[in-house]
Amino acid sequence: MKVPMKWIRRYVPEAPSADVLAEKMIMIGNAVENVENLGSEVEGVVVGKVLTCEPHPNSDHLHVCTVDVGETEPLHIVCGAPNVAAGQLVPVARIGARLPGGVRIKKGKLRGELSEGMICSGDEIGCPPELYPSVGSAGILVFQEEYPLGADVKPILGLDEDVLDFEILANRPDCLSVWGLSREAAVASGTTFHMPEIVVTEKGGDIHDYVSVEVHDEKLCPRYIARVIRNVRVGPSPLWLRQYLYGAGMRSINNVVDITNFIMLETGHPMHAFDLDMVEGRKIIVRQAVEGEHITTLDGKQHDLTPGQLVICDAVKPSCVAGIMGGEESEITEKTHTMMFECAVFDYAATRQTSRALGIRTESSSRFEKGVSVRTAMQAMDRACQMIHEMDAGDVVSGLIDLYPHPAGQQTVDASCERIARRAGVPMSPEEIESILKALRFEVTRDGDALHVVVPDDRQDVTMEADLCEEALRVYGYDKIPGTLLRGETTPGGRSAAMLMRMKISDLLTGLGFYEIMNFSFVSPRSVEKLGLSAEDARYQMLPIRNPLGEDTSVMRTTLVPDLLRTLALNMNHGNTAARLFEISRIFDPVHRTEEGLPMEHMRLSMGIYGNHEDFYSLRGLVECLLQQLGIEIVIARGRETFLHPGRSAVLQAGDCVIGTVGEVHPDVRDNFEMPVRAWIADLDLEAMMALSTAMGEVKPMPRYPAVNRDLSLVMPEDTEVGPLMREMAQSAGSLLEDVKMFDVYRSPVLGLGVKSIAFSFIFRGQDHTLTEEEISSAMGKILKTAEQYQAVIRS
Amino acid sequence: MGVKEKISELHERMLSEMASAENRQTLEEIRVHMLGKKGELTALLRSMGQLAPEERPAAGQLINEAREKFTGMIEKRAAEIKVRERELALERETLDVTQPVEKPLIGSKHPINRVMDEMVECFTGLGFEVLEGPEVELDHYNFELMNIPKNHPARDAQDTFYVDDNIVLRTHTSPMQARAMLTRKPPIRVICPGRVYRADEVDATHSPVFHQMEGLVIDKDVNMADLRGTLNAFAERIYGKGITTRFRPSFFPFTEPSTEVDLTCSACHGAGCRICKGTGWIEVLGGGMVNPKVLEMCGIDSSVYSGFAFGIGLERIAMLRYGIKDMRLMYEGDVRFLGQFR
Repeated sequence: MKVPMKWIRRYVPEAPSADVLAEKMIMIGNAVENVENLGSEVEGVVVGKVLTCEPHPNSDHLHVCTVDVGETEPLHIVCGAPNVAAGQLVPVARIGARLPGGVRIKKGKLRGELSEGMICSGDEIGCPPELYPSVGSAGILVFQEEYPLGADVKPILGLDEDVLDFEILANRPDCLSVWGLSREAAVASGTTFHMPEIVVTEKGGDIHDYVSVEVHDEKLCPRYIARVIRNVRVGPSPLWLRQYLYGAGMRSINNVVDITNFIMLETGHPMHAFDLDMVEGRKIIVRQAVEGEHITTLDGKQHDLTPGQLVICDAVKPSCVAGIMGGEESEITEKTHTMMFECAVFDYAATRQTSRALGIRTESSSRFEKGVSVRTAMQAMDRACQMIHEMDAGDVVSGLIDLYPHPAGQQTVDASCERIARRAGVPMSPEEIESILKALRFEVTRDGDALHVVVPDDRQDVTMEADLCEEALRVYGYDKIPGTLLRGETTPGGRSAAMLMRMKISDLLTGLGFYEIMNFSFVSPRSVEKLGLSAEDARYQMLPIRNPLGEDTSVMRTTLVPDLLRTLALNMNHGNTAARLFEISRIFDPVHRTEEGLPMEHMRLSMGIYGNHEDFYSLRGLVECLLQQLGIEIVIARGRETFLHPGRSAVLQAGDCVIGTVGEVHPDVRDNFEMPVRAWIADLDLEAMMALSTAMGEVKPMPRYPAVNRDLSLVMPEDTEVGPLMREMAQSAGSLLEDVKMFDVYRSPVLGLGVKSIAFSFIFRGQDHTLTEEEISSAMGKILKTAEQYQAVIRS
Repeated sequence: MGVKEKISELHERMLSEMASAENRQTLEEIRVHMLGKKGELTALLRSMGQLAPEERPAAGQLINEAREKFTGMIEKRAAEIKVRERELALERETLDVTQPVEKPLIGSKHPINRVMDEMVECFTGLGFEVLEGPEVELDHYNFELMNIPKNHPARDAQDTFYVDDNIVLRTHTSPMQARAMLTRKPPIRVICPGRVYRADEVDATHSPVFHQMEGLVIDKDVNMADLRGTLNAFAERIYGKGITTRFRPSFFPFTEPSTEVDLTCSACHGAGCRICKGTGWIEVLGGGMVNPKVLEMCGIDSSVYSGFAFGIGLERIAMLRYGIKDMRLMYEGDVRFLGQFR
């Protein structure tokens, strides 16, 4: 909410400068987004009188003028405006003047004629016609009144003004008003708020002869006040009012509309004015809309209305959407003769819903949504009528209508000063608390420690002791809160086992050269289609978001793979020659639900690599290294994920549990993700890893007897899987075998077609003696026998 | 020629030959030639038979002394040669120590997780337990128990992604406050880091997915000063000595009193700079005393217990900490960005 300083000073004359006040307001909880000086870009523009105005000798549209700016010699100024004429009072930008947009005025010649400045239009000095309507239309601004020649134009136009832009907290609708903010300003700066005297001058007649009001929904409209103004004299607002509104960021329309806006800004009570001659039957009915009704609002748009939406109707049709926007038909125009002011209170939730449903947000609706104080509405209405009288904009008809069937009581709170100070953590005395609350307009009765507090009418947010604590503390000073460390019973604290596990995995993977990536949890439904999954794959069952930002982020992901592939592709296409990436994140399963009915969330780990030194085996090595470090023993078998190369895809299992898959990205999928080079990925179940992970046991003693090494080269059919072969050879060798490694793979026409030679190294060791040749030969014999079952024979 | 003369001659020869012996092989040849089985000194010893018996002991002693002396000379020379040879070898093996090398590649944790880890470390040290909860959350926990009923204006500030009328993507980590209170008895000290969602379009400073860390303490006589002390400790731990907090009154439905918390700008240490827009302070988190209504809804007797809560945005901390100007970089995964973290 923007408030010009002069509006605050009108009620808080001793308020400090804008910058000082801004700082003080921030520290009592009224955030100031910025302090703007309206005319900061304008400098050196003064009032001048056009003495002479002759056509330019070398131009058919320029004029050569002499302008008196209060000095001994008039200035020579060339002016191109069609409306310039001798005798006018105009703004003159002198040599060296600054104008909005960084414009600087220099001495110069225009078509041979000397020009010592510029006669300005409103636009050129940042002054729109609503702020200061020029005499006549297009062209330079012509002042309507006499001002001293040479005087700075900024004070005249209201451009020498500091405007504070407040960010109003959701619990302080009272601060959506100049009065509310001025009261805060008075407390913040230790001065006084002066409430103006409000007097309504009635000019006879009887309101009941002009209008009748019925409220059919007291819940949605707890209070409705109406006043009638006759002999309405619609015209422009006085300059001061236009300047106030301009500073607050509103446009001046006419005196009547400006009064309603001024009242809304000053008191926080939105008002509405109806042209009574356009109100059928001179009857106002406040009710919910019925099916099929519609209205054309002030902005010319037609809206269909539904039940639940509150409307202000005349005898036959809706003429205003309550608290949101008026209808076109009953709008105040220059022809308006008799009008009705409405100052009502509408339910915040209903207003919010209607505003959302119709897509209309106005200054009025945003105030009602946050809550408008029901008890202060009459004050606002009286103030509006006072302004009508003072501005001679019409005659206030005697009498008023105030439908307020269930007057709200005063809100009271009982509290303890000691508890307030203890909660705040500062040594505030009961006297200090009392005096702060009184400064904030609370009526306080204190008996020792006990407080009985009557809350001001517009402070509906204060309902309990904790609220009073905040009120007292924010004025006492948040900066005086000391810092103390926690006391009392200690707690062990610490990370959960799952978090520790993830930390360990991250540490291992970063040590292995992997960078951690993070992707959004929602994806496009098409991201899974790009993986080529079979139609019945569970990963198609994605949790949809009802109001997504767009199709690309409309469902919660069921796999981390598409994001991994996209990130790999991005790196490839950004010219990064190699990368190792991993992500630890959740997937969402809408089919299976928790007891609370929430979709199951599961932790997954995805890993991906590409680059010249990488291949299927390097990724498998990295994955196995990780699993080994977690104490997980796995069996590797051929896998068949659709997004992986059918010949280069493995599934990792531990018993019946599938930990995940490792493989090369299928070329079709690479095409789908625009990946120019091969990549290898792993998709792992982190929860399974967690469950299978084992802590390390005791260390083994150092061996006391020497190891014996036997190498063996076996020739076998090309399609023999070495993994199972090695596993079985090791099993058959018995307990003397300490380790077996594969150290060479060899293919050659010399060996024959369709075969490969694999070299193994077997290490034997006895626990309690040095092995004999017989023992080793016997074990090697068993190994060879097993190998024969795989058609693997010793290479000759 | 007598034995003595012969020895003297051999000594002369040894001296001259050894002087030119540049390697161990030549030296060995000299040794063999002189002291070996067929060497000249050995021959001299053998020739002693021709001497008169009474001359033999003296001659024998001379020869033995000569053997000892020659052996010593050879050893000394051998040591010299060894030193020389090692020197030569060292020279030969000289490398260009400035030539570029291949470094093993170490990856890095994501900046958000680096920041999160540091914070978790700080708070676990203060006795906080780390909790995690669902990202797809019940409206009940996300809003109702946080004192934000339906149509409450505070819902406006949190543009919510809905799954259905009762289920949302959590808009903050605060629902974990409720989950912690409903499952634990005071004293409660928990932090809840995690991912949250708001319907913000992606730009340099906004993301519909981001991360927060909630903190909650419930005990007897917990107050605003405890909140400040705890956050001061946090600020100093994360940003270093001299970094402290500034509290400003604010509003959150689930705390009362509520506060915005600024930290001393770590770039200028409070002097005012471009990063803190000249104020010397950076707004990083919000907190306050847990609203008694929230305590009661979550089964904690507000007449016995009080508590504080705070919520920190991790993206903001990471961006300030590492000078990241565009939030999108953190969700893009380009290794040229990720590779800078160490």
